Amino acid sequence: MQESIKPPVEERYQKELEALRKADEEQGNKRPDNWRMSPRAVRTFILGSEKPVECNGNKCLIRKKYFGNDALVERCIVTLAGNRGLMLVGEPGTAKTMLSELLSAAISGNSKNTIQGTAGTTEDMIKYSWNYALLLAKGPSREALVPAPLYIGMEKGILTRFEEITRTPAEIQDSLISVLSDKVLNVPELGDDGFLFARPGFNVIGTANTRDKGVNEMSSALKRRFNFETVMPVNKVSLEKQIILNEVSVLAQESHVDMQPDEDVAELLASTYHELREGVSSDGRRIDRPNAGMSTAEAVSVYYQTMLTGYYYGDGHLNVECLVQNLVGAISKEDKDDLEKVRGYFNTVIRDKSSKEGGLWKQYYEARKWLK
Amino acid sequence: METILRSEEMAEIMLIPVRHHSPACAWQIQKIFAKWKPDAVLVEGPDNANALLSVMLHEDTRAPFAIYYAYHDKAKRISKEQAHYKCYYPFLDYSPELVALRESHKNKTKISFIDLPYKDILAASAKKVSEDGAPRNYNDDYLLARNAYMDKLCEKTGLRSFDELWEKYFEINGLNEDSDIWFSHLDTYCRLARENTPKEVLQREGCLLREQHMAARIAQQALGGCGRAGQQEQTDDKKRCKTAKSDKFQRILVITGGFHILGLKERLSGEKWKETVQHANKLEQYVPDQDESVYLMPYSMEAADALNGYASGMPYTGFYQKIWEGLSSQVPKPYEAAVLDFLVASGKEVRREEGMLSTYDEICAWQMAEGLSRLRGKPQPGAYELQDAVLSAYVKGAYNITSDMPLRVLRRLMTGTGSGALCTLADVPPIVHDFEGQCRKFGIRTDSTLEKEAALSIFSSKKHRQMSCFFHQMLFLQTEFARRIKGPDLQRRKDRSLIREIWKYKYSAQVFSALIDVSVHGATMEEAVTSLVQEQLRQDIRSDSAALLLTQVFEMGISGQLQAVYERLHELILQDTDFYSVADAIKSLLMMEDLGALYESELQFGSLLHTGVQKLILLLPGITRMRDEKLDAGMEAIKVLYQITGRKGPDYSGERADFYEALCRMQEDTQIHAGLNGCIHGILYGSGQEDSRAVGAACRGYLTGTREQLLKTAVFFRGLFFAAKDLMLMERAFLVMIDTFLGEVDEAEFMELLPQLRMAFAYFTPAETDQIAQRAAGLHSRTGRELMARDEVLPEWYTYGRELDLYVQRRLGHGTI
Repeated sequence: MQESIKPPVEERYQKELEALRKADEEQGNKRPDNWRMSPRAVRTFILGSEKPVECNGNKCLIRKKYFGNDALVERCIVTLAGNRGLMLVGEPGTAKTMLSELLSAAISGNSKNTIQGTAGTTEDMIKYSWNYALLLAKGPSREALVPAPLYIGMEKGILTRFEEITRTPAEIQDSLISVLSDKVLNVPELGDDGFLFARPGFNVIGTANTRDKGVNEMSSALKRRFNFETVMPVNKVSLEKQIILNEVSVLAQESHVDMQPDEDVAELLASTYHELREGVSSDGRRIDRPNAGMSTAEAVSVYYQTMLTGYYYGDGHLNVECLVQNLVGAISKEDKDDLEKVRGYFNTVIRDKSSKEGGLWKQYYEARKWLK
Repeated sequence: METILRSEEMAEIMLIPVRHHSPACAWQIQKIFAKWKPDAVLVEGPDNANALLSVMLHEDTRAPFAIYYAYHDKAKRISKEQAHYKCYYPFLDYSPELVALRESHKNKTKISFIDLPYKDILAASAKKVSEDGAPRNYNDDYLLARNAYMDKLCEKTGLRSFDELWEKYFEINGLNEDSDIWFSHLDTYCRLARENTPKEVLQREGCLLREQHMAARIAQQALGGCGRAGQQEQTDDKKRCKTAKSDKFQRILVITGGFHILGLKERLSGEKWKETVQHANKLEQYVPDQDESVYLMPYSMEAADALNGYASGMPYTGFYQKIWEGLSSQVPKPYEAAVLDFLVASGKEVRREEGMLSTYDEICAWQMAEGLSRLRGKPQPGAYELQDAVLSAYVKGAYNITSDMPLRVLRRLMTGTGSGALCTLADVPPIVHDFEGQCRKFGIRTDSTLEKEAALSIFSSKKHRQMSCFFHQMLFLQTEFARRIKGPDLQRRKDRSLIREIWKYKYSAQVFSALIDVSVHGATMEEAVTSLVQEQLRQDIRSDSAALLLTQVFEMGISGQLQAVYERLHELILQDTDFYSVADAIKSLLMMEDLGALYESELQFGSLLHTGVQKLILLLPGITRMRDEKLDAGMEAIKVLYQITGRKGPDYSGERADFYEALCRMQEDTQIHAGLNGCIHGILYGSGQEDSRAVGAACRGYLTGTREQLLKTAVFFRGLFFAAKDLMLMERAFLVMIDTFLGEVDEAEFMELLPQLRMAFAYFTPAETDQIAQRAAGLHSRTGRELMARDEVLPEWYTYGRELDLYVQRRLGHGTI
């Protein structure tokens, strides 16, 4: 049995990272100071390789981990090699966190140096705090200082991840400004020794949810210290289906669920999520868009729940009725009208597909009784 | 580069594939010329455009310009509709074809276009024309980009589009390659694209027929003659053939779109060669017929940019123009220099518009562009790294419609704003002569591009009326020559009492291009306008649009067309089922009837109005439960109907009865819109069909109804006062009713109703409002003067208010609130 539910990226893809690092060394590729691998190797780690990477005579295939906009990944890598922080913004469930974890694991070999932004986040949680017992015993000293992720990132020359930055109060966000521009952190209690100059390799990756816009809007001074990358939802049904299948396979493997995902059901779900998100069906019909976030991550979760139900309570197969039940749970979170919109979608688009395609689509249409 | 047909009898032929508007391709062609020194150059382009070569290569002609083809399908070769077709073949300074032509001209090499004329391409792809509409561009680069092979290649290389792939492998990486290697790469790529395009597509697009024609023209030159030499009728062609025969070409350079190379190679070698020679012998020199015309016109960067919908080659014309200029002046790294220039230029523009972009942002953008080019394996950053850099460093916050200004600015700069010019030798279509003739007649100068003003007394001077018609025609033809600043606006039915029109006009190269653009529709401006009017009438339009067209014809003074539009409008009114559209058409007709004498129109609108009124009465009950936003339009329409049916004479007596009957039927619907109900009651009261008691009863119905209905009373009054405001002045009972109503509602409801009440009372003059107020005050035993009186405001209150203001400001300033 594995020790944690979700091991960090650097452990999960340890072999791939090691192979890429060694191949980099063998080829003598240039890398920015303190980076564990070259920018090209980082790209390969995230976007995958056609051919296996060879190192020490062994071959290791690098799997594509991020689906969507390859150019965005390239821009992120170049940003992190520069002087500005990287801010990933987008709708919920568009794999912003996953991308930031992958980047941190590849560049710094550590995706755990993370600040989780909440309404209760304080400056101590970002920069440093004190071990009060030592502080009282020895006075202000480095020993008594408890470094927080930003301090650790600067000290070690690694990336610091700041999740959900716009959920933290504006004045806490602004404590990043001087650090990002001057790359120095002053701990006044330590006197002349209190200046921590960031080592090369340090940078910050922030993530922000566009649905939180206005909760704690970032100041323009802070915005200037970041390059912004907007992560858009996946725009192809085939790609979305692939993501669902990949993610669910990994989740099933980690939970020791011995069941293969069904491609047709994945397509059904991917198509539903895609059409409801875009507000238009594949045959050009206008659809009312639900207010709930119709992200690929939600689709993965709905699929995985259905799979678990089939595995533990069913006959080891995916049940379409159960899929619709889980869909209801995922959609009716914020707005009661959303369910009505999905019902309308079933009564028009799915009805026509069921009469045209039959089979699974027919079962899907018949399961609309659970939309209540 | 491989050549074919090498033999002692025949010339050596080199087939050069090109991509339209590719600077690298143009650059490599220059190198080929220096190395291979051809003595004849054949270029893909319609062979009926050869006469334009002297103008194209004249030193005063400046790119971008385009060959413009127009064809009027009178012979119904393409479809039964006898439609007009037109297309453009744009040339930029870095178009490989233009570079080849300029090089040939410099070396005094023979040059010729060899492709099918536009009308034959249309006929060859007739099915496509009927399915997708006629192609608007002569180029067919889209065939290179639009195939399954290319999609797969983009996916595999991780590039976003065919254009990005092209830039990476052919433009940036290809700059330092030897021309033989560069063209062989292009040839391989075009071969793969061709092999992955189904034969049906080739047939449908007319490719096969074009290749047959081009191969025959090449064979004619290769064999040292012009096909059936000696049988030519035209002197110029005879001369050209003689020259060709006497000069036996040794090396012929053929420049065509890369997609056709494989087809041409097949036809110029092996088994098909004989067939090609036979076809060449049958091929005569082209004699243009009167239904087609070919002209050269100045073009703009904007129009040439493929992103503007013409798919005319590579996008970002302004950016690649900069690259070409860099290459021509031997800048060591032209892409790097251009990217930096564009980053600075767009940064400056963004700063000007938004004012929050720093120099450091520009530095970061430059670092991003450089970093991306290294990561993507490009020796220099290109157009896509430039866009990525701006997106990353200039856009602050989430990328969406509100934050995409930097990218919009960059896109505008990358498209470029330049436009071309032609030398004075350029032939122009007759419509341009007509335009110039009219300008001379009216004393309008076209030798200056400064904007001038003309004030026209259209009803007192015949010449001014004619000038006004001329300006209106130019407006209709969308030439951007003239714009009306002041004057009666018949289309919007505004300012009809004005007797003078003030116009501003400005001549520019765009006016010239626009006139050439519409020359397909006629030889004179009047003909072009007539043809376009007829074309619009054939379309499926509503009666309001047709009435609008009639007003335009009216303004343009195209009297010959008035009857045709009039008749079509008659048909459309009968077909139209939209109440508001018919009502709008009737309003336009009424206006034209009023102004007919002033504009010296002899058109009689009687029967058209008759038909319109009948139709409107028929459609009237359909608006009973109208939406709120339609109330004004509905009430206006009812008022117009009341006015027309109320005209004296027996003409409208039948309609008048029908109108009142329709109104009564509408009232019976309990779900009738309150405002409309008020308006109908007003009309019926005004016409004596109803007395004030009936109106009062309807009003009380709302007042004594449920809460929701009570609140509708304000809208009811609005409708009522629109049609019969005198009720309020004459009948005391109404005043009492309104007073009761206002007493019923609480303050919050009153605030909600206030906008409607304001609109209801807007129909009264100030004196009438005053009178109503006096009477209202009387109901509460007060006088009007007392109503106006206000309680005294003490100076201490002002002082206190000011202190309060300051306190709040202070607290807010300290951030404590």
